[in-house]
Amino acid sequence: MNVSIVPSLKKLRPVAMLVIVVLLGLVLGYWANAAFLPGTSPEQPIAFSHRIHAGENEIPCMYCHTQARLSPSAGVPSVSKCVGCHLEIATERPQIRRLMSYWDNQEPIPWVKVHDLPDFVHFTHKRHVLAEVECQTCHGPVETMDRIRLTSRAADGTAQANHPWEMGQCLSCHRENEVENGTDCWTCHK
Amino acid sequence: MSLFSRFMDGWRKYRKPGYYDEFDYHWTMAIDLDKCTGCQACMTACQAENNIPIVGEEELARGREIQWIRVERYWEGEYPNAKLSFIPIMCQHCDSAPCETVCPVSATYHNQDGLNTQIYNRCIGTRSCAVYCPYEVRYFNYYDHHWDSPLEQQLNPDVTVRGKGVMEKCTFCIQRIREAKDHAKDDGRRRVQDGEVQPACVQTCPSKALVFGDRKDSENEVSVAINDPRKYRVLDELNTDSSVFYLKKVDA
Repeated sequence: MNVSIVPSLKKLRPVAMLVIVVLLGLVLGYWANAAFLPGTSPEQPIAFSHRIHAGENEIPCMYCHTQARLSPSAGVPSVSKCVGCHLEIATERPQIRRLMSYWDNQEPIPWVKVHDLPDFVHFTHKRHVLAEVECQTCHGPVETMDRIRLTSRAADGTAQANHPWEMGQCLSCHRENEVENGTDCWTCHK
Repeated sequence: MSLFSRFMDGWRKYRKPGYYDEFDYHWTMAIDLDKCTGCQACMTACQAENNIPIVGEEELARGREIQWIRVERYWEGEYPNAKLSFIPIMCQHCDSAPCETVCPVSATYHNQDGLNTQIYNRCIGTRSCAVYCPYEVRYFNYYDHHWDSPLEQQLNPDVTVRGKGVMEKCTFCIQRIREAKDHAKDDGRRRVQDGEVQPACVQTCPSKALVFGDRKDSENEVSVAINDPRKYRVLDELNTDSSVFYLKKVDA
């Protein structure tokens, strides 16, 4: 008797098509997710460039983020801080005009937070800045970024783009530097 | 290192007599029951400081209230010779805590300050610790609790809002201890001085019945208080070695 597998293959064709369509959908979805959805580098209300400010003009981080050495939060500078310089500098550029419209309307700029820790994490900028940890250790090469991109520190100590912070990354640094009670859960959790 | 030798190392470390004397601090509370008027200001202060939800009448009737500190009321004798006494009960921060041994994920553990701590995001909600706790001071979140606007504005940012399925309890206001240590570091000191840390209940007690501090320094206010001859600890016969001392004159 001659047995052929062709009829059963024909029956499998719709299933195979379905699998291919689903796989294609997953790939497309992943790509769309990475490319279009707000993610690791969201668009900001004003195209502020850290590359120009911190990189080319070498303004120290704590000229604007003044609260970093004083408080748990590093603080986003107020509009008046921006205007303090931009009343004089580059006043004709469109982004600066947009800044000035916020200033004229006496409105805060709705910046989008990029580096956000979960609510159960206690992190204080003050202790880390006073311990002379470089800002770039955690935030990556900010002075080269036009738009801020979520960055964390990889296990080997290099900057890891598009990757949120994980507990192990905090712990490995605390272990390396032998922080006092640095591995106690309640040092960082709350 | 083999599992067995790690186990033995842990055993030698944690089972050594005097292990708890090696702590950085030994946070302790002394509660003078002869001063306590039962006003429950401590409960209110705790509720506000630690983002404790109000569960509502229905849940309360099912025994699902959340109160990190509660004032228990005891009547002695019959009217008109009735005598009323109060005892505030919160987590006793036992040095040999039954709850710590039972947690399957080590969400509750003893830290280097002699505090019995609870890591909320590690907790998986088995509720074993609440069963093991002889003081009944561990409370479980049966629901996600919400604060109606604008009440969410008064939540303490230093304390997590615990979600559904998480066990919680008194922390001795660990966020205040952490802040005091932060200030101590700013001043170039390593140790927190007496009187710099006050949990919300201690701060608010109108009759100053509650005293809080580090027991390691014998000159601290709390060390003096716990050497009072009136002192006792609740359920001391269970050898929990708790960190909350009660002072009460026993009527002969």
